[in-house]
Amino acid sequence: MPKHIFRLLSLILGFLVVAIIAKPFLTVDSFYKFGHYRANSIPEIAAQEPVLQTAAYCKDCHTERHAQWSAGNHKSVTCEICHGPALGHPEKGKLPIPKDAAKLCTLCHEAMPGRPKTQPQIQVAQHSGGQQCTVCHNPHSPKISAALVKVTGNAAAGKQKSADCADCHGAAGVSPNETWPNLAGQNPAYLVRILAAYKSGNQKDVAMTPMAENLSDADIQNLAVFYAGLDCKGPKAGKPTGDAAAGKALSKNCSNCHGETGVGKNPAWPKIAGQQPEYLMNVLKAFKAGLRKDPMMAGVSRGLSDTDIADLAAYYAAQSCQSTK
Amino acid sequence: MKKEDTKPTLEARRGFLARLAGAATCAGAAVGAATLGAIPAVSAKTEAPPPGDSFPTKDYDWTKHQWGFGVDATKCIGCLRCVEACKNENNVPRNAHQFRTWVERYVHIEGEEEVRIDSQSDPVNIEASGSEKEFRFANRYKDAKVDKAFFVPKLCNHCTHPSCVQVCPTGATYRTKDGVVLIDHGYCIGCRYCVQACPYGARYFNEEEGVSDKCTWCYHRITKGLQPACVEVCPVGARVFGDQKDKQSPISLFIRNNRVQVLKPEMGNAPNVFYVGIDKEVN
Amino acid sequence: MQPIIDFVPYTGWVYPNETVFEWSILIAVYPYLTGLVAGAFTVSSLYQVFGFERLKPVAHMALLTSLSFMIFVPTPLLLHLGHPERAFNSTITPHLTSAMAMFGFFASFYVALLILEGWFAYRPFIVDQAQKRTGLLGKFYGLLTLGSHDVSENAMRYDRKWIFALAVIGIPAAHGLHGYVGFMYGSLKSREWWSSDLMPVIFLFSAIISGVSLLAVLYVVSCKLRKIAVDLGCLKGLAYTIWAFIMVALVLEGLEFANIVYKGREGVDMIMQYVTGPLLIPYFILQFAVGAIAPFLWLSYMIWRGTSGRALVIGVTTCACLVLFSVFMMRWNVVIGGQEISKTGKGLMSYQLHWGGKEGALVAVLLTMAPLGVLYILTRLFPPWSDDATHAHS
Repeated sequence: MPKHIFRLLSLILGFLVVAIIAKPFLTVDSFYKFGHYRANSIPEIAAQEPVLQTAAYCKDCHTERHAQWSAGNHKSVTCEICHGPALGHPEKGKLPIPKDAAKLCTLCHEAMPGRPKTQPQIQVAQHSGGQQCTVCHNPHSPKISAALVKVTGNAAAGKQKSADCADCHGAAGVSPNETWPNLAGQNPAYLVRILAAYKSGNQKDVAMTPMAENLSDADIQNLAVFYAGLDCKGPKAGKPTGDAAAGKALSKNCSNCHGETGVGKNPAWPKIAGQQPEYLMNVLKAFKAGLRKDPMMAGVSRGLSDTDIADLAAYYAAQSCQSTK
Repeated sequence: MKKEDTKPTLEARRGFLARLAGAATCAGAAVGAATLGAIPAVSAKTEAPPPGDSFPTKDYDWTKHQWGFGVDATKCIGCLRCVEACKNENNVPRNAHQFRTWVERYVHIEGEEEVRIDSQSDPVNIEASGSEKEFRFANRYKDAKVDKAFFVPKLCNHCTHPSCVQVCPTGATYRTKDGVVLIDHGYCIGCRYCVQACPYGARYFNEEEGVSDKCTWCYHRITKGLQPACVEVCPVGARVFGDQKDKQSPISLFIRNNRVQVLKPEMGNAPNVFYVGIDKEVN
Repeated sequence: MQPIIDFVPYTGWVYPNETVFEWSILIAVYPYLTGLVAGAFTVSSLYQVFGFERLKPVAHMALLTSLSFMIFVPTPLLLHLGHPERAFNSTITPHLTSAMAMFGFFASFYVALLILEGWFAYRPFIVDQAQKRTGLLGKFYGLLTLGSHDVSENAMRYDRKWIFALAVIGIPAAHGLHGYVGFMYGSLKSREWWSSDLMPVIFLFSAIISGVSLLAVLYVVSCKLRKIAVDLGCLKGLAYTIWAFIMVALVLEGLEFANIVYKGREGVDMIMQYVTGPLLIPYFILQFAVGAIAPFLWLSYMIWRGTSGRALVIGVTTCACLVLFSVFMMRWNVVIGGQEISKTGKGLMSYQLHWGGKEGALVAVLLTMAPLGVLYILTRLFPPWSDDATHAHS
């Protein structure tokens, strides 16, 4: 064989041998162990730190909130959806509380073709008159409850028991003064709920608490049915201090629950049309101050000034309790 | 110049050399082949635990699980919280064009033959969300006469016969023993052949890292007993995850109690994401 | 700095991840370059293996052309990779189910083959230069001789055997080098536009016509530059080769398209919409009508009429240029076109070609032109002209 061929072949062979021997040294660690990949990459991937912590993580510090949330109907909406990932919290600082709740809530709750009908959805423009969702809804337990009270009382028995109530609320359920509320024609479900609340201590009132404590559940039912059946008569003549026209403008925000003129559709919520104006004012102030407890009313009343309250009271007091709105 | 030699001797010498060279080449080839065969054993030098120990972590043994995923498209409300959660959890580029998981909306308008399909990447929806970093479906059909509409969440199907793994030139993407298709970000060369090969569009190229990326079923979470981020946050239970080896796991029940189907079955990839409630146009 | 990602506009419905084009113009340039390599080598083989004597004037230039372009073949790929420094991963641990993994082996084997073939062809010249030249150039040639100045008849016999063997091996090697690229596209089931059994063969035959056309153009240009007469026999030989292979290429490409339309699988509506819309000009007009059918008809005419002389030179050169353009359009229409059709089968995207940038048009043009510069240098170091006194071997 000529020299150059021999040398060429040696070169080629040498290169091949070097290449073959070099391969295991050039191959990365753990390759081929379980297959054609670097086995060590799997523990590397598995070791990454999870960013979302789950609601169980929030429970330790935010116990009350967690309890409220997990008992409510938003328990499938984990904390981190609205507040962001909890990795690094609390060491790295607070998690954001969304300012524009509507932007967040409508992501799920805006009525949209394609959303299953089982999903609670609203027509945004017509739902809240431009108000933030959190005005009426507690984001941690947003369902507006109080709709499920059963009314099963007996009016005649209620009439008998009502003798104890007549001093303040009138024998016919129409109050003798502007401070104590009319009960005639009021929604029975509401009456049951509020009396039960006074009795259990969920709601506190210096006058009503001792009264309610002496009532049995059957009494409450009977009283509610009795008063609901009474004629509420026409609007009370009186001179409310507020401006009814201004109150009418404000009442737009109340109409979703209380109806356009204070009558409303949901029997769990009180009719306020033709109610005593002083009573309405006091109640709104009590809600605002947190003395009277209702999560929705607390939110609603927070933004009301004393003038607003007076105006609203004037408006509603002037409405006919017999209207159907 | 060489001295003139007698032909037979020269021939004989040449012949001998030629045969020697031939033998040497054959021997070299044999040695080479043997070395090639020995390579897997030699090059698998590793700090990974010896057989018998739990892999990949001491609390998680991948031979004991076979993961599966279910999507109930009858429940999805298109809130896109899964997309948001995934982006947070996995450092996915914060834009509206690269996703590990996404949601599609299918709308049939009365009188129209063609279905209208959009996702959160549609410019109209990007505008509705306000930025490329936030995700929202615009209510663009609220005034239209809609015959039928629904949402379909999508993600990597973690196929049993993945096209992406087949075409990867280096072995940077692979299927684990517990049924998850992963990407080795330290080994990928960024050729993007896998992105081309995936029939479902599940992969994307991460420009910043120079590697291909995709949904991992949050491997770092499921090996710790957690759920993938998207499953964790879905408020309506449209996403289901679990161990197919466990007959009572959410996914096993999902498959057993529903008529499930997969996307593009004709591809032969045998996906492991099972759908309920999708329609003829969903592919 | 935040990397700038091009999100392309689209119509219809596309998967969210599809609005980024993964494979750019460089990935169309890559098969174009390997195609030119394979085609140029075909000319050399036609001479060395099949005894087309009339191609002697271009045989060695074909080798040098092949080598010049082969050197640049990995460049568009390296520029495209997310991690070019890890490029050897696919050679050290090649995933044998992946056609792309074969690149490292085919490419290095082919480079070695080309270098060897050229070396054997030029050995007498190298030995001669090593003995005559001094200085750096002398050392260069000296190194290439591998220390042996043996150009005896015996040595030449070995050399001729080697050249023949290499040329024979080179044909399947070239087919592998370019065929695997076609297989890379044809084997993918995710894109209807790519998925075809015929794809490797189509790539191969269009590669051959591009390489032969390149050589025709280079030959005519080199004759003009050297102010010598064009060997019309050689040019006719090249013309026949182009003509024959265009027919095959047209048939294959036509078959492929016909199959897509005839089978009418899901997604064919979008393909038809695409091909009669955005792709009408690049596909039917540029790739087929202007770039393939027109030169085919013109060549047929010249062959039928026995055209010779200046008319032949102009005709063949023009046809060759058109074919070169057509083959690039074919690569473009496959690579870019395939990505413009969405995997959903319901949408189309539109590739945004930028002039600048790592994967822009400027880089693409440079990568296609640079091999010509290398070729120039190689023709200086290893003159391929068969009429030249200095060229010592055939």
